[in-house]
Amino acid sequence: MRKLLGAAGGLALALGIATAVQADTPTMGVVVKIGGIPWFNAMEEGIKERAGEIGMDAEMIGPTSADPALQVRAIEDLIAKGVDVIGVVPNDEAALEPVLKKAMDQGIKVVAHEGPGLNNVDWNFELASADGFGEAHAKLLAEKIGGPGKYAVFVGSLTVPLHNAWADAAIAWMAENHPEIELVGERYGVAESVDDSRATALDLIAANPDLKGFLAFGSQGPIGAGRAIEERRKGGEIHVLGPFSPGQGQKLLKNDIISGGYMWNPAEAGRVFVTMGKMLVDGEEITEGTEIEGLGVVSPDAATRNIITDNLLEINKDTVDGLAAKGL
Amino acid sequence: MTGFYAQLQERLGRETVPLIGFLLLVVVGFALATPQFLTAANFSSMAFQLPALGLLTLAMLVPILSGGLNLAITATANISGLTLAWTLIQFGGAEAGFGAFLLGVVLALAAGGAAGCVMGLVVAYIGAHPILVSLAMMIFLRGLGEFLTRGGDISGFPDFMNTIGHGTLAGIPVPLIIFAVAALVWHVMLKRTRHGFSVYMIGSNIQAAEYSGLHSKRTLTLIYTISGMICAIAGILMAARFNSVRVGHGEALLLVTVLACFLGGIDPFGGFGRVLPVVVALVILQVLSSGLNLLGANQHLSTAVWGLFLIAVMALRFVFARLSEIRRRRE
Repeated sequence: MRKLLGAAGGLALALGIATAVQADTPTMGVVVKIGGIPWFNAMEEGIKERAGEIGMDAEMIGPTSADPALQVRAIEDLIAKGVDVIGVVPNDEAALEPVLKKAMDQGIKVVAHEGPGLNNVDWNFELASADGFGEAHAKLLAEKIGGPGKYAVFVGSLTVPLHNAWADAAIAWMAENHPEIELVGERYGVAESVDDSRATALDLIAANPDLKGFLAFGSQGPIGAGRAIEERRKGGEIHVLGPFSPGQGQKLLKNDIISGGYMWNPAEAGRVFVTMGKMLVDGEEITEGTEIEGLGVVSPDAATRNIITDNLLEINKDTVDGLAAKGL
Repeated sequence: MTGFYAQLQERLGRETVPLIGFLLLVVVGFALATPQFLTAANFSSMAFQLPALGLLTLAMLVPILSGGLNLAITATANISGLTLAWTLIQFGGAEAGFGAFLLGVVLALAAGGAAGCVMGLVVAYIGAHPILVSLAMMIFLRGLGEFLTRGGDISGFPDFMNTIGHGTLAGIPVPLIIFAVAALVWHVMLKRTRHGFSVYMIGSNIQAAEYSGLHSKRTLTLIYTISGMICAIAGILMAARFNSVRVGHGEALLLVTVLACFLGGIDPFGGFGRVLPVVVALVILQVLSSGLNLLGANQHLSTAVWGLFLIAVMALRFVFARLSEIRRRRE
């Protein structure tokens, strides 16, 4: 019995010493939408990597389902743990406000990503602005078409605000800079389904002989439109662009069916979380012109606490293998 | 010593004592593993997290005791929360007065009660299986909520609601007080009232109960109505804690409530079980989840530990049941 007590005491002492040593390292917890999916696994890698580089003790918490209630629980546990910084990728912005306020009231710094509407945060950062993302795709399409022609726009659904904001920006840029490239019809809300995208693309190709490109915003749009082009053997003639899952579109991209697209890098987002967390703990001010690694020179919006940048990652033949290997 | 133990078992119920023992074991384990565990901050965090799950578990408890199941608890809670939210929005959202809140609470309870009542009537008078009925109700309520809100959230409630979700009274978190009162009411309802007696009898053998003159149909209807109303209270609490309502909040808690009931020794076939061990089981689940979070363990791991824990408890119960049987035979 005495031996056991001695061992327990020794263990407690060792743990006490271990924590005493750790006390100087700032701690951070990042609560993401859901754990165990490739996107957030990549983010976790980024967090761990960056934490090792700059001496933070950072961990990622991925709830078992995308339920805001679980995020609230995880954040409460982080507050209890007494971390210095909380990072969050919200499932539901409104549901997190009270618990984030609680964290901030206790002096914990809060960094958010993909939560532009959050109020109780020190900063929210974005790696892609709606306008920048849309324009980048339009620019790339104009480059690939390289002359007059027609193009069609797919969105995930007509009620997805983000997709429509991308589409608005892309169409506006195209109308201003390349009036010779015309939009066919309105936008089509089919891009969350491979079959719908394929069928709509086939109809559009049949109806418009001078169709030169598709801009597909929505995870399945480029894949579906790509299938249609593959069937009609129009690879290289009609260009498909849009954000898609690299693993899913790898083959179509290599066969020149899909021309490419942009996404943002979750691992980079993970790195930025830690970088910003460290800056906040050290009390560094983030103002107009501050350079943040991973974001570049930023111009933060002090009123809405948003830092919106355009750090897009092009999906092309060179990058697709690496991205697909990460399971993205 | 054995006399004292027997007495303790007699007073708290056969399931409670081993569960409390296990709770102590887990607490000591985490206390040794991390110095952050035995802190006021952690206990307060757990006390704020437990009640929403606890109230939903109470809603699940009585239907299981009656030999049924209520899969619609989170959907009912969401719909009730939405009812409260709509009422508050009608009276100006964040500017709404306390009267509007009270009206909203009454309407929310009515909505929850109505949803429960419909399930109860179908179970009692049509004789459909509770799993089917409550599954249908869950799908209906979720669809209705999605349709009415278009999947969005309603937020912006008056400040005093924040007190309900995050405030303390004499140092005790308000949500915990609500849960403690509800658990006490549940205990009294099950042990001291005619309705409670009917629940146990129906759960043990519905035919026998009916032949003995129990109005089983009325009791079944009442069981689901009350279950719907406690869901409404859980919905109100979640609205206060999140300052927003949306279909799908807390959906992940549905199966955890079933887990808590079984851990707490509720007979899956109905008829046997008490409130106190279920409360202890809830505390154990919360301690496991918060403790593993403090250690920085993966969330999926804590779910796995919950599952393992359930299996271990079932196995131990089986072994103890066999042992006492052997002992009885020897005597």
